[in-house]
Amino acid sequence: MPTAWKWKGALLLVLTIVSVYLILPSLLDVAARREAAQGSRTPLPWYFSVLPEKGINLGLDLRGGIYTEFEVETDKAISNKVDMFSSDIERWLKNENIKVEGVRQDISTHTILISGLDSAGTEKAMEHISDFYSDALVKRPVPADSGAQLAFGMQDKYKSHLEDLIVKQALEKVRNRIDRYGVAEPTIQRLGSNRIAIELPGIKDPERAIGIIKQAGQLEFKIVDDSIPDAKLKEMVTEVRKNENLPEDYSLKTVARINELLKGKLPADDEVAFEIQYDPITHKQTGALPYLLHRKAEVTGEMLKNAQVNVHNNEPYVSLGFDSQGTTLFGETTTKNTGKRMAILLDGTVTKAPVIREPIMGGQAQITLGYGRYADQLKEAEDLSLVLQEGALPAQLTEATKSVVGPSLGADSIHQGVVATIIGALVVCLFMLIYYKWSGFIANAAVLLNLLFILSALALFQATLTLPGIAGMALTLGMAVDANVLIYERIREELKHGKTAKAAIDAGYGNAMRTIIDSNVTTLIAGVVLYQFGTGPIRGFAVTLIVGLTVSMYTACICTRMVYDYLIIKRRITKVSV
Amino acid sequence: MKTTHIPFIKYQALFVGVSFLLFFIAIYIMATKGLNYGIDFKGGAKLTYKFADPTHEGQVRKALEGTEFVDASVVRFGEPAENRMSIKVALPEEHAKIGEQITAALEKSFGAGKILLEQEESVGPRVGKEMRKKAWLAIIFSWAMMLIYIGYRFDFLYGPGAVLSLVHDTTITMGIFALLGKEVNLTILAAILTLIGYSINDTIVVFDRIRENRSRINLDTIKDVVNESINSTLSRTIITSLTVFFVVVVLFFKGGGTLHDFAFTMIIGVIIGTYSSIFVASPCYIVLYKYWPSVKKLWSKR
Repeated sequence: MPTAWKWKGALLLVLTIVSVYLILPSLLDVAARREAAQGSRTPLPWYFSVLPEKGINLGLDLRGGIYTEFEVETDKAISNKVDMFSSDIERWLKNENIKVEGVRQDISTHTILISGLDSAGTEKAMEHISDFYSDALVKRPVPADSGAQLAFGMQDKYKSHLEDLIVKQALEKVRNRIDRYGVAEPTIQRLGSNRIAIELPGIKDPERAIGIIKQAGQLEFKIVDDSIPDAKLKEMVTEVRKNENLPEDYSLKTVARINELLKGKLPADDEVAFEIQYDPITHKQTGALPYLLHRKAEVTGEMLKNAQVNVHNNEPYVSLGFDSQGTTLFGETTTKNTGKRMAILLDGTVTKAPVIREPIMGGQAQITLGYGRYADQLKEAEDLSLVLQEGALPAQLTEATKSVVGPSLGADSIHQGVVATIIGALVVCLFMLIYYKWSGFIANAAVLLNLLFILSALALFQATLTLPGIAGMALTLGMAVDANVLIYERIREELKHGKTAKAAIDAGYGNAMRTIIDSNVTTLIAGVVLYQFGTGPIRGFAVTLIVGLTVSMYTACICTRMVYDYLIIKRRITKVSV
Repeated sequence: MKTTHIPFIKYQALFVGVSFLLFFIAIYIMATKGLNYGIDFKGGAKLTYKFADPTHEGQVRKALEGTEFVDASVVRFGEPAENRMSIKVALPEEHAKIGEQITAALEKSFGAGKILLEQEESVGPRVGKEMRKKAWLAIIFSWAMMLIYIGYRFDFLYGPGAVLSLVHDTTITMGIFALLGKEVNLTILAAILTLIGYSINDTIVVFDRIRENRSRINLDTIKDVVNESINSTLSRTIITSLTVFFVVVVLFFKGGGTLHDFAFTMIIGVIIGTYSSIFVASPCYIVLYKYWPSVKKLWSKR
């Protein structure tokens, strides 16, 4: 027994020293001082190199920042892929001199419809597709009213693989954009199948950051189809809006709906897109000009080499340089379509549609921005060039949840939370002291130790301390002494039955242990469920609860027992103050 | 504390009746009045502003008149001295600029620089619904886990009583939330799940003592043994609850806006949880002990 006692004591001593070492950076505010010293280039005190680099990680609700979850809209990206297949198939059919009217996609079902084939052509096309696209496409029944001879849908397995890939790419892009924007310690991770969670601590202009992350950055150059005059097109759009009672806006959703409703009235493979118009003086949106465009983009943002901000006549713009493929394609298109208009689309909205006066061979183009104050425009141009340089997102992102916390609220929260925890702990300790006398004192020492160990565990595992986490700590202290209460009540009971001090303590610990383990395990189960369920702040609560209760089994049971062992063996006490 | 000799079990029918009544009233209130879900579970946006000058809800509501956010709910956040207000609005389809619009409206009434947007949270309606479903699943899942754990550690006659008292505690706590129209959000869910893990502890203490005395239990003595077990553990049941109760009361008064409702839930839960371990869980064990053999016999006859 005495040797085991020594080992236990040594373990406790080592744990305590390590714990103090781990939380020292948080106590001394080492991170801030290190940063300040680096800023002013003053040498750091010697002990900075000895201390751990990081202290306790504070959650967003305590230090301010943004937490958002974005949903990756994979649907649109899938239809882009199907478009690509369609044009590949069409090209092959034409190369093989097979008579074909068109290869197009039914957007709502992502089905490729091939029409105008004769029976020999149908057979050849089927053979080609099953040879080259067997893992991606599968034959589907041809819709009755489509007038097509063949229909192909996407294989489920391929589709889910594609969706996974899209989310992965989106994650990568978002990470690059945030890196380039410059945020200290961002956390970007994937949640479930199609969600991305982003945590940006201590950021100053949250809306701008979210804008940069969210902007699709889809740059497209499309040729304007002049087969329907602009005035007529405007009339058609107005009519559809009125008939269907559509809202007066130009969001992607509304535009998609308009296109759907105009299907059949427009040439196949064409679409309507809008250029938003502003009043030059008030900078307010006045309306929008519809354009009829060939749906397939001639040149896209993927072929960009660089994008940078320039200013001309006090108007900022983004100048674009294409890579070799882009330069060639841009040259070909502008040669073929000289005299026509070419629309420059950013995220589905036309920014400008100038007439191509002569072929452009140099691979240079520019995007002008909407109307606004100079400073706003410049900011917008900077953000746009950042987004374009990093490349387009593979799919649109929509905000699922967002939470922005200002630093002042965080500071107040910490203050109130810490004060409440300290008062709560004091009240509990006082009660224990009054009710259990010296034994209460021992339990209180264990509670303090518990607090120290929780903090050091948080620092060690770099778990995040949140405001509910602070509450969790206070709560854990209240729960940790429960173990001591159970033990002491049992000891009192045994003493009443006339047992000696040593026997009563043995029986007290022995019998209460079962109950303590059971009751802690049930609380731990709840904590784990909570951890699984919660995000952000709630997770922080679950973490402190789990860590605190686990640690309390050591501090409240084993550590206090050591004290009694010492008192009984070394001091040979015969009475317990309980 | 001296060992008491309170005849709890003698009046068990009365207490069980009261519990049943409370339980169904809680369900009735939840069904008719509904729970006031926060944006976490409903979708919407919540903005917390700090005002430079003392203000009250009416002024803020007035400032929002004439905007599209007239229906917003405005409540004080934290202590009156903090001058903080939370504004909660339903989320329109395009919700990127809600913060800017409300800030602009408030600045017009209170003056630029007099208000500060400190916290902004928004949750899409789809996500909110999903979270609500997941929250109920989490609650039910933890009930099930408790049933399994108690069944494994004790025996299956104890499990139903423990879980029934948990269902009782959770339902009544949420009924009180529905009655008071208090907001149910993620933090409240955290409190409820914690309660599920914690309020079972008192039950475990009593059950543990019953199990210790099981050699003396038979059909004639069960009531006395259970009553004696409750009495002999009464002091620890109360004191363990008290220590946590102290902490949550301090959090309630001193913890600030976010922790206020969390602490409120815990306060109610700790009280009901202590009550139910004596007046719900133990009677349930007696009933199961008495009638299980005959149920089993009936079963084997068929």
